[in-house]
Amino acid sequence: MSAPAAARRRLPRRRVPAGPISLLAGAIVWELIGHLAGASFFPPLSTVIGRLAGMVTSGEIFASLADSLLNLVLGFAVSLAGGLLVGVAMGRFRKVEAALGVYVYALLTAPSLVFAPIFFSLLGEGRGSIVAVVVMYAMFVMIINTASAIQSVPGHLVEMARSYGASETQILLRVMLPAAAPMIMAGVRLGVGRAVTGMINGEMFIAVVGLGRIVTQAGGRFDGAGVLAILLVIIAVALGAVALVQAVDRKITGWVPQTSRGH
Amino acid sequence: MTTATTHRRARGAATTRTGPVEARRPCPPRRLLGANLPYQLLTFAVFAVAWEAYATVWGGLLLPTFTETVGATFQLLGTAELWQAMYVSNQALVIGFAIAVVIGVPLGIVLGRFRALERFADVYLNILLVTPMAAIIPLLMMSVGFGLASRVILVAVFSIVMVVVNSRTGVRQVDPSLIEMARSFGATERQIWTRILFPGALPAIMTGIRLGVGRAVTGMVLVELLMVSAALGGLILEYRGLFRAPMLYGTIVIIVAEALLLISLARWGEHRLTRWSKATTARSTR
Amino acid sequence: MIEVRGLGKSYIGQDGGVVQALQDVDLTVADNEFLTVLGPSGCGKTTLLKAIAGLIPWNEGDIFIDGSPVRGPGPERSMVFQNFALLPWATVLENVAFGLQMRGVGKTERIERARALIETVGLGEFETKRPGELSGGMQQRVGIARALAVQPSVLLMDEPFGAVDEQTRRLLQEELLSIWEEHRLTVVFITHSMEEAVLLGDRVVLMSARPGRISEIVPVPLTRPRSSDVGALERSGKYVEITAYLWDRLRDMHEERRPAKAGR
Repeated sequence: MSAPAAARRRLPRRRVPAGPISLLAGAIVWELIGHLAGASFFPPLSTVIGRLAGMVTSGEIFASLADSLLNLVLGFAVSLAGGLLVGVAMGRFRKVEAALGVYVYALLTAPSLVFAPIFFSLLGEGRGSIVAVVVMYAMFVMIINTASAIQSVPGHLVEMARSYGASETQILLRVMLPAAAPMIMAGVRLGVGRAVTGMINGEMFIAVVGLGRIVTQAGGRFDGAGVLAILLVIIAVALGAVALVQAVDRKITGWVPQTSRGH
Repeated sequence: MTTATTHRRARGAATTRTGPVEARRPCPPRRLLGANLPYQLLTFAVFAVAWEAYATVWGGLLLPTFTETVGATFQLLGTAELWQAMYVSNQALVIGFAIAVVIGVPLGIVLGRFRALERFADVYLNILLVTPMAAIIPLLMMSVGFGLASRVILVAVFSIVMVVVNSRTGVRQVDPSLIEMARSFGATERQIWTRILFPGALPAIMTGIRLGVGRAVTGMVLVELLMVSAALGGLILEYRGLFRAPMLYGTIVIIVAEALLLISLARWGEHRLTRWSKATTARSTR
Repeated sequence: MIEVRGLGKSYIGQDGGVVQALQDVDLTVADNEFLTVLGPSGCGKTTLLKAIAGLIPWNEGDIFIDGSPVRGPGPERSMVFQNFALLPWATVLENVAFGLQMRGVGKTERIERARALIETVGLGEFETKRPGELSGGMQQRVGIARALAVQPSVLLMDEPFGAVDEQTRRLLQEELLSIWEEHRLTVVFITHSMEEAVLLGDRVVLMSARPGRISEIVPVPLTRPRSSDVGALERSGKYVEITAYLWDRLRDMHEERRPAKAGR
């Protein structure tokens, strides 16, 4: 990868750092409206930050954050493993795709939280149910992306490997998976976003642990600043998770030319 | 089974088995759907039998069998209670989704047309895309209470992001030379919007609307399950509280069915409109 | 020695009808011969090559390499692809070593042999680059190096220079000639260029389409080695004569197909 060329191409796009300026403007507007409105459900940003600082110093946020992250990691790991396994099977074998395709699509588009009561009844009121909700949210998009990634591996690469006597395992590991990696990672990126959503929704529904529980409790106390403070933490978790996946993505698929990286 | 293998070889896909193969009689190409159906039915049958067996052996108060669930689903469809809940849920869905489209499509087009604006809005759109929207439900309860309004707002908030993002992308994809062309014929800004930008962006807008429908249904179910306990979501919670498991599962089946039906409808509508607009863009670019 | 006996292959086309891709193809390629295969598009020349490579099944006939029947890809054959078929995520070195890796050659030996071949094709300073950073001509040099790295006795080339520009193509042709003169391999080379077929080949196999079969085998009595002065060779009377003859034959084939097309 020619780093200088890539840098030159990227430079002109970053004239003004629009993101930070925009965030700053948003923060000021929030602060002003918060003061003017004086409503309990929309406190100014400074109040929210103060509340967040209070939660951090008292330590009450950390236990919930750790619980939530554990739910997220467990659910995401299961989703990733299942997504890759089922996705590769669907991509390689037409019969598997014929048998599962419709159902995976249906479960991808259906509102995932309606299945929470089922997990609740099967797995009880605890972490298992929340992890199951996370899987329900995150796995199917990874299956679909992996399957179509495997299917769109250029035929001539597979043929080339065959001409050198590569075994089916070698073709899968050395040709198909690397070639499919960019698209698989796109699915993983979508999956991690959905996993965070599933984590919060699951925790709000099965309110026993995590950020979802304390946001529900704050709502119950009519503590607007508390809700927004936790919301900020949730946004940070979501953005952090996506950024982490993106970093891994860049490491795995560094060979993809910058120009064809359209997100 | 033989159909699938012959089909595969006929398409010229390289198989691991090479060398001479016996000549085979040509067979008419099968419709993909027809070829898939047996497998789909098989999967469903396996799932149903496994569920039935599991529930019969280990099932209890909270796990009905497959047949009980099917029975309860039909029983539910005959009750006024369900249709009342359906009406209340879908009221919020329709109003909220309509608001999302009416605000979201123009907003997306504006963002796509004016790049400067988009660069500043981008960061918020990205945050909205990854943020679990359910976390704002407590704020909604505090501000507008437990009525229809909060459900409508949540449905709208859920679906509007998809509509905005896709409309924006659609406008961005419109060939800038078409705008120059329209200008060269003396088109006004208004004409450029109605004649060039909107039709050009229509396929992407329809995609946004389809995805938006899915999110709207999700939002509807979510708010009812998490906070309001009204309508369909309320039924689920009620049956769960009463340990009426078959009814609980039946309600879930019905909600999923409705969601899939609405999404299929949206997809069908998207196909119809996209086909028409594809022909137009093809003609205009030639 | 490659022997193709009564080879026939048919498949079901998109319209549901049977397409006869190859019919009654008989061909013998001697050891260390450079054979070029020329024909209009759709004449099945690539199908023939892939059958010899053991990549596709066929319906009738047999193919033998040094007396043993082809049942799949084998270590004595290697192939150079029209669209290069390089792994975009792997470096030049890794790409050249790919065939060796598939055959279980140890890492040190693999790298050593790959490096030597990279030198042969003149890409020494590019071994850590990825295909996306190379020009088309350089990419095909990698493809050729990869094929040679497994030390095949038969090199199968499927329009290898079809996707590069004219000037690069000339350079690659000269390089291929000198590589072949040095390594002594059996080469089957598919092309749609008459000039290329005559310049490189000992014999030119002329194929016709629908059904794909061999219409004629034209010997090329030009002296070897040819890599030293390609320009003089191209001005020679024999070269001009053979290319002119091939074009006459090809034009006849196109003429034959024209009324059939109009009649549809």
